[in-house]
Amino acid sequence: MQAAESPRLSDRRFRAGDAALQLVAGAAALAACVVVGLIVWKVIAGSLPSIRAYGVHFVWRVAWNPVLGHEVYGAGSFLFGTAVTSLVALLLAAPLAIGVALFLTELAPRFLRGPVPALVETLAAIPSVVIGLWGILVLGPVLRDHVEPALHSALGFIPLFGPASSSGSSVFTAIVVLTIMILPIVSSISRELFLGVPRELREGALALGTTRWEMVRGVVLPYARSGIAAAMILGLGRAIGEAIAVSQVIGSVVGIHWSLFSGGDTLGSKIAESYQGGTTKLQVASLIYLGLILLVFSLLMNVAAQWIVRRGARRQGVGTNRGALG
Amino acid sequence: MPKLGTVMRTTLVAAIAALATATAATARTHDTTLTGAGSTFVAPLLAQWIQPLGSAYGYSLQYSAIGSGGGIAAVTGRTVDFGASDAPLTPDQFAACKGCVQIPWALSATAIIYNLDGVKNLLHMNGATLAKIFAGQITKWNDPAIKKLNKGVDLPGQQIATVHRSDNSGTTYNFTDFLSSASPAWKSKYGKGVSVNWPVGTGQRGSSGVAAGVSQTPGGIGYVDVAYALKNHLKYFAMQNRSGKFATPGLKGILGAAAAQVKPDPTTNELSIVDPPTKFKLAYPVSTFTYVIVPTSSPKAAELRKFLFWAVTRGQSYGPKLLFQPIPKSVLVVAEKTIAKIK
Amino acid sequence: MSSHGITRADVQAVNLPRRRIVNSAMELLAWLAAAIAVAALFVVVWSVVKRGAPALNLDLLTKTPVQFALGPVKQGLANAFAGSLVLVGLATLMTVPVGILIAVYLTEYAAPSVRSAVSLALDILNGVPAIVIAIFVYGLFVVGRGQSGWAGSFALACLMLPLVTRSTMEVLLLVPGSLREASLGLGVPRWRTTLSIVLPQTLGGIVTGTVLAVARVAGETAPLLFTSSIVGTRVSWSPSHALQSIPVAIYELSESPDPADHARAWAAATVLLAFILCTSLAARWLASRGRRRLSTSR
Repeated sequence: MQAAESPRLSDRRFRAGDAALQLVAGAAALAACVVVGLIVWKVIAGSLPSIRAYGVHFVWRVAWNPVLGHEVYGAGSFLFGTAVTSLVALLLAAPLAIGVALFLTELAPRFLRGPVPALVETLAAIPSVVIGLWGILVLGPVLRDHVEPALHSALGFIPLFGPASSSGSSVFTAIVVLTIMILPIVSSISRELFLGVPRELREGALALGTTRWEMVRGVVLPYARSGIAAAMILGLGRAIGEAIAVSQVIGSVVGIHWSLFSGGDTLGSKIAESYQGGTTKLQVASLIYLGLILLVFSLLMNVAAQWIVRRGARRQGVGTNRGALG
Repeated sequence: MPKLGTVMRTTLVAAIAALATATAATARTHDTTLTGAGSTFVAPLLAQWIQPLGSAYGYSLQYSAIGSGGGIAAVTGRTVDFGASDAPLTPDQFAACKGCVQIPWALSATAIIYNLDGVKNLLHMNGATLAKIFAGQITKWNDPAIKKLNKGVDLPGQQIATVHRSDNSGTTYNFTDFLSSASPAWKSKYGKGVSVNWPVGTGQRGSSGVAAGVSQTPGGIGYVDVAYALKNHLKYFAMQNRSGKFATPGLKGILGAAAAQVKPDPTTNELSIVDPPTKFKLAYPVSTFTYVIVPTSSPKAAELRKFLFWAVTRGQSYGPKLLFQPIPKSVLVVAEKTIAKIK
Repeated sequence: MSSHGITRADVQAVNLPRRRIVNSAMELLAWLAAAIAVAALFVVVWSVVKRGAPALNLDLLTKTPVQFALGPVKQGLANAFAGSLVLVGLATLMTVPVGILIAVYLTEYAAPSVRSAVSLALDILNGVPAIVIAIFVYGLFVVGRGQSGWAGSFALACLMLPLVTRSTMEVLLLVPGSLREASLGLGVPRWRTTLSIVLPQTLGGIVTGTVLAVARVAGETAPLLFTSSIVGTRVSWSPSHALQSIPVAIYELSESPDPADHARAWAAATVLLAFILCTSLAARWLASRGRRRLSTSR
C-alpha cells in the first residue's frame, strides 16, 4: 500500500473505483428486487386465465374436474388439505418442540447440552425427498398395519378416525411427516428464546420458593411468549410450503374427507403432481392459481412472524433479536 | 497496477472458472440429443430404443414419462422435440400445437392389475363390473357380481382398494374409454379423459406409481400398460370382450383388437380399438395405439424423420417381448407418409 | 417488565406435595419430548442407512440407469451424481458473487430506506415456497426453450441467495469500524478498503454461509422438478440440456414398484445424507473457528 499517497477527492481513480463498486453492488441489490418482483408478477400473470374464469370463488370451490368439456377447477379441496395437514402437524410438533427446548435449557445434564441441539438441528437438514422416501416405504406401512387400525377401533366413533387407509398413503402419514419436519424449527428457535430469559427473573422466582415447573410456567414461558408464537408461525409456514414429501405420502385424492386416514392433497402437492402434465391452458392457469394462493399464505406467515417478534420486543423494551430468527 | 488483494484474486479466479465452464459446456452440443416427454404407456418400448438408436445414428434419446397430458403440453410449448400420448389430440389441442402431426407408432394393451393373496392370475372381469368397482359401488372382493364371473374361485371378503393415475394420463384415457363404452352409467357420470373425477381410490403418478400402489396395497386394483404388469410380476384380469370371451392382454388379444380399425382417420391419424364389436372374438377390449406428436417444422427435422422411420420399422421388433404388437401394415403406410411431412 | 404468571398458590408451602408432583410430571414430559425428538431423528437416519448401506457399491457411482430392464441388470446413478455436481456448482457460482455484492451494498452504501426495502425483498425471496420458485423459473426460462441445467441452477440459486446474503451481512457487520476508519485514514479509497481490507476478514463467514446454503440446496427437489427433469441416462456435464440430479432421482425411484429401484433410492439417500451432514458439520466447525479467531484478533 502506498502510504505516501494522500487522499485527494479529485483523484479520478479514487472516485471511479467507488462509483464502480457502488454501481455494481447496487445493480446486484436491484437484481434481487427485480427477481422477487418477477416471481410475483409471473405467478399472477400465469394464473390470470383462471382468475378471469372463476374469480375469487376459486379459492373455496371444492371441485377439480379436468375432463374436457366438463372442466371445473377450484382450490377448496387443497386448501382444506393444507389447513388440516399443517395445523395438526403444528398441534403435534409445538408441544414436543417446546418440551425439547425446555429440556435442553432446564433439565439436561451438561454432557447433553451440546450434542442434543446439534442432533435436533440435523433433523432439519434431512432433505424432504428422503423423509418422503422413508414415509412411503417405512412409515406408511407401519401406520397402515398397526397405528391406524388401533386408532380406528379405539376412537372410530369420531369421524376423524375412519377406516384405516389401504396403502399407507393418507393425510395422517403426511401429518406425521410434516411434524418431523417442523419440529426442529420450532425447537431451535424456542431454545434460543429460553436461553435469553434473564437470569434474575428465573432466580427471583426460584427464590420465592416456586418449583422449577412453576418458574417455567410463570416466568420463562410468558417472557418468551411472542417469540414462541413467531416460531410456531414460521413452522406453520414451512409446513404449508412443503410439496415434495407430502406429494409422496398423501395419496392424491380430491374432495373433503373428514377421516385423517383417507387420502387428500395440499396446494403444494397438487402442483408437484399435476403441473408438468397440465393439458389445457385453463388447467395450467388453475394450478398456478393454487401457487398464488400458496404464495400469499407463505408471505402472510412470514410477515406475521416478523410483526409478532417486533411487537413482543417493543413490549419488553428490548431491541429486536433478529439473530434468533434470522 | 497495485497488487491485487486476496479477495479480488479469488473472485477473479472464480469468474474465469465460471466462464470457462460455461463456454466448455455450451460448446459440446453437437452430440444430437432428441428430447421427448409424455406417455408412461410407451416408455418401456422407448427405453429399449435408447441403446440401438445410439449405435445406429449416434442419437441420444432423452425421454421423461410424465404422462400423456404432459407430453402434449410439452411439445405444444416446444420444450421438447417430440411428445408421446396415448390419448389422441383434440381439435383444440391440434390448433394449440400449431402445425403438429400425430403418428401412431406403437400398439399395446392396458392390463387391469390386482393384488389379492391366495387367488390365481387371470381372474375373469367385465367392463360393467369394473366400472362399478371404480365408481365405489362394489367394495368387496366377494361381491356377487365378481363371484358370478369367477365361479369356482374362492374369493375372500377383502376390501377393494382402487388405484388410479393422479397425473394426466393416456392410460387413464384408454381405461375410461373402455369403461364408458361398457357402462352407460360410467359414461354419464365420469366420462372418458386423461383425468377424471374419481369418486374413490388413491392416485399415483405414472404407471410405475400405480404398479407400486397396487403391489403395496392388499386388495388393490389398478390399470397400467401390460409391460409394467410383466416387469413387476403383477396379476391381471382376463377381460370379457363383446363376443363374451375372456381375452388376455397378450399379442394375440392386441392383434385381435387392432383389426377393429385398420386405417387411421384421414385427417388426425387416430385409431379407436377400444371395446371392439362382437365379430372380433379374440380382441382384448382395453387395447390402444399410442402416438408420437411432432411439429412439422422443427430445427431437428432431419433427425426426427430418421428416428421416427427407424421407430416404426426396426423399432417395432423390440416390442413383442414387452407385449407391444408391431403396428399393422396399413397403419405403417400412413405413418411413413406422415413422417415425410416433417421438414 | 413482561407480565409473569406466578400466583400466590404457587409459593404457598401448604400446596408443596401437589406442586412437587406436578413438577415431576412436567419434568418427565420434557424428558419424553426430548427422547421422542431424538428418537425420530435416529429412526429416520437409521432406516435410511440400514437399507442404503447394503446397496452402496461402486456401480452406483460408475454405472448409468437402465430404464425398464426386464431382468436384473447392473445399473447405477452416475448421471444423477454428475448432474447434481453441475447444478449445485453452477448455482453456487451464480449466488456467491451476487450475494456478497448485495451484502456489501446493504452495509456500505445503502440508505436506511433502501436497506429495508432490499431486506424485505430478500425476506420475501426466502419465504417463497420452492415449488412456486419452480413455477416461476419454468415460466421464465423453460417455456419455448426447453429444460436445461441453467434453468435448474438458477432455481437453486434463487433459494441460496437469501442465505448467502444474510450470512455475509452478519459477518460484515462484525468487522470493527476502527478497521475501516484506519484504512480510510491512511488514504485507501473506500472501494479498496471494502474489497481488500474488510472482505478478507469476512471470508470465513462467507464460506460458512455458502457451505450451509449448499447443504440446504443439495437436497432440494421441487426447484428441479419442472426445470431439469426430462433427462437421459448418459452422464452429461453440459448444462445446456436438462441434467438428472440425486433428489429428483430419489423422488422418481421412490414411486417405483421395483424393490431394486428402492434399494438404489436408499443408497442415493444415504450418500445425500452423508454429504449434507458432513457439509453442515464442516460449516459448524468453520463457524466456531471463525468465532475463535475474531475473539482472539483484538
